[in-house]
Amino acid sequence: MTTYKSIALRGIAAGGIAGVASALVQLLVTEIPIRAALAVEEARAPAGEEAGHSHGGEGELVSRGAQVVGGMLGVVIVGIAVGLVFATAYALSKRWFSGSTPFTRSATFGAAVFGAVALLPWLKYPANPPAVGDPETVNYRTALYLGVVVAGLVIVWGASLLAEQLRAQSQPVRATAVLLAVAAATAVVLLAFPAPPDTIPADMPVTVLWQFRLSSLAQLATLYVGIGVVFGLLVDPATRKAKTPAAAL
Amino acid sequence: MTSPAASLSAVRVPKWAFAVSLLGLIVTYLVLQENGLALGAGSELLHEFFHDGRHALGVPCH
Repeated sequence: MTTYKSIALRGIAAGGIAGVASALVQLLVTEIPIRAALAVEEARAPAGEEAGHSHGGEGELVSRGAQVVGGMLGVVIVGIAVGLVFATAYALSKRWFSGSTPFTRSATFGAAVFGAVALLPWLKYPANPPAVGDPETVNYRTALYLGVVVAGLVIVWGASLLAEQLRAQSQPVRATAVLLAVAAATAVVLLAFPAPPDTIPADMPVTVLWQFRLSSLAQLATLYVGIGVVFGLLVDPATRKAKTPAAAL
Repeated sequence: MTSPAASLSAVRVPKWAFAVSLLGLIVTYLVLQENGLALGAGSELLHEFFHDGRHALGVPCH
């Protein structure tokens, strides 16, 4: 008999492991375009101090080195927190893929969460490196971003509801209907939300911008798909069963 | 394979699990979104410290 506590602990472990993996992607991959973007920002600096914000240099609040470490630490903390919420949602859900193994359920759920809270907002409001965002619009952009995240989660929830409703249908019909519904809902969300308010400054090289965006997406995929896969490994009895026959003898 | 999902639907989720999940969401908010709304002046240090992570995870930033 599995308790919620053991499920939650596995969620924390999965989140921590995926968070460390994502933080390593950040250190080795994402930091490269971040450094390039900070160089762009620094080149602007003599024109005047950015209001209430610093990325190192004169009068810094947190040194560049601390920001690199803090950024990685932040990713690990977010991984653990998301892992915990993920495990709770997993324990609560009885609807989707009820015939599949725990590993398949967890990995699929992780992929769906990635689509809802990372890929969908990334498509509508692509990640921007330092030196791009306008401080004036940050609250508006945050509201739009959270709105898309919520819409993505509603789509995932609705898809599981629809799959449940179509239980009487054959598997191919069911899968096609759910995929079509998800595609249609995604299109509606992408069209309904307003365009990103900020323009990309002319001094930001397109290569740096897209290197950053793709790095960010890779890091998000590592985090969310990683949580689904690691949690699935930890929660599926088959992971340990494979070793037990030898021990049982 | 004997009904693989059966052992999972047997998990009873206590009420405090929701408090725990809420805590997880609050932590995520503090790391990724805190722009001075919840912590006021102290948030700037937090904001700067987690700066690279916030950008890297694609969250809107200044």
